[in-house]
Amino acid sequence: MKLELGKVFIEDVQFGESTHLDGRILVIDHAELLEAVSGDEHLWKIRVDLAHPGESVRITPVKDVIEPRVKVKGHGGIFPGMLSKVDTVGNGRTHAMKNVAVVTAGKVVGFQEGIIDMSGIGADYTPFSKTHNVVITAEPKAGIKPHDHEAALRTLGLKAAAYLGQAVKDVEPDEIKTYETLAPREAAQLYPELPRVGYVYMLQTQGLLHDTYVYGVDAKKIVPTIMYPTEIMDGAIVSGNCVSACDKNPTYVHLNNPIIEDLYEEHGKTLNFMGVIITNENVTLADKERSSNWTAKLTEFLGLDGAIVSQEGFGNPDTDLIMNCRKIEEKGIKTVIVTDEYAGRDGASQSLADADPKANAVITNGNANEVIVLPPMNRLIGTTAYVDSCAGGFDGSLRSDGSIEVEIQAITGATNETGFVHLSADAY
Amino acid sequence: MVKEIERFGLPVVHVCTVVPISMTVGANRIVPAVAIPHPFGNPALDVKEEKALRRKLVEKAMKALQTEIETQTVIE
Repeated sequence: MKLELGKVFIEDVQFGESTHLDGRILVIDHAELLEAVSGDEHLWKIRVDLAHPGESVRITPVKDVIEPRVKVKGHGGIFPGMLSKVDTVGNGRTHAMKNVAVVTAGKVVGFQEGIIDMSGIGADYTPFSKTHNVVITAEPKAGIKPHDHEAALRTLGLKAAAYLGQAVKDVEPDEIKTYETLAPREAAQLYPELPRVGYVYMLQTQGLLHDTYVYGVDAKKIVPTIMYPTEIMDGAIVSGNCVSACDKNPTYVHLNNPIIEDLYEEHGKTLNFMGVIITNENVTLADKERSSNWTAKLTEFLGLDGAIVSQEGFGNPDTDLIMNCRKIEEKGIKTVIVTDEYAGRDGASQSLADADPKANAVITNGNANEVIVLPPMNRLIGTTAYVDSCAGGFDGSLRSDGSIEVEIQAITGATNETGFVHLSADAY
Repeated sequence: MVKEIERFGLPVVHVCTVVPISMTVGANRIVPAVAIPHPFGNPALDVKEEKALRRKLVEKAMKALQTEIETQTVIE
């Protein structure tokens, strides 16, 4: 399967008469965008705000971050099974609007975190302070059930990203990159001298605000399966989770997964990238055992020599991570695991809830318990009403001057476990 | 907490969903629970069924508490 990804680099975003590109400035017709995303019976008071890099703006609680994309050639449309029909995507040509993100924000249930600061020290911890953000908030109608509320907000963001993506459909991209993955038999013959490497992509699947969707299917209901990496670039995997926002994968990260990018970069040079195995992180032991058994079985089935395993979240998914690692290693296949740490505020505690001697190659994306003080911002999109009770927050987190003392786990993407961040750690 | 109470001399049963973590942290008597969001119950069952499930789990834990063990043991 072969995908050409055309990137259009946007320099600014403004509201204007009609939605189009003026050179490399995205002009958005505010009324037309609202029209495109409205229609859900559960939501009202939909609001669109712009937040630019360097501005004194805080966005919280963040639900999802999505890159606008559009299918130009090939089967199906963007976000199959969610917005488009369930055609298998990942071939042909897709255009991506770079430097722009749709951010959905607002409370869904109980306490909820996810902070994006567009300037100040907090901006260094989130990749989404560098994008021009089209922030969408909406009020739920009275009596809405939490699951319906989550689904409505999730769809709202996807619709906005698909709508904005249309603006780059007929634009000549600044850069075109071609990604190709062959079926296993041909792929293995392609570079017989290079090690065959696969990517085990663990998806958070633990319930409301902890779910992920694959072609529209709630991933807690799947058994592990194999995907072409380019399917994921066309939005086959969509986020429905945002709790402890530092190490959750917003849809933006699924679309731009850096492990997939890097494996393609090394494909044919140092390794033979065979494809992606997706698996879940469920809440019963039987599910964890079954999924890790299947993941290990599929690494063997693909004839891999090595696998990179990335986690999403922390706590009990540490066990899924370690089970995957141990069972794949027991097949004689080398693993590298990619995670983050909850090592306490002083960094001295055990980093993961589970461990195994076979997990001897580990990449960390930082300690989520590190405390940070976020300075006050001039403009707030959303609400800071829940900061004291969010994951990583504590009584008194929100100070009277508007500054926030909080663990970095509250910051969207701060310790992302696909490496979509700047934090890491060295061993001494 | 399991280890600290045992250090004090009282036997402990750790009822928990993710048995491998319980093994890693060094619990001695482990009884597998139902699921992470609801270790001691199952909201999918009706009231009567769930009460029976809960009672069974507590009785199993009580029995485990009285079981002589030599090493870390999972009591199914």
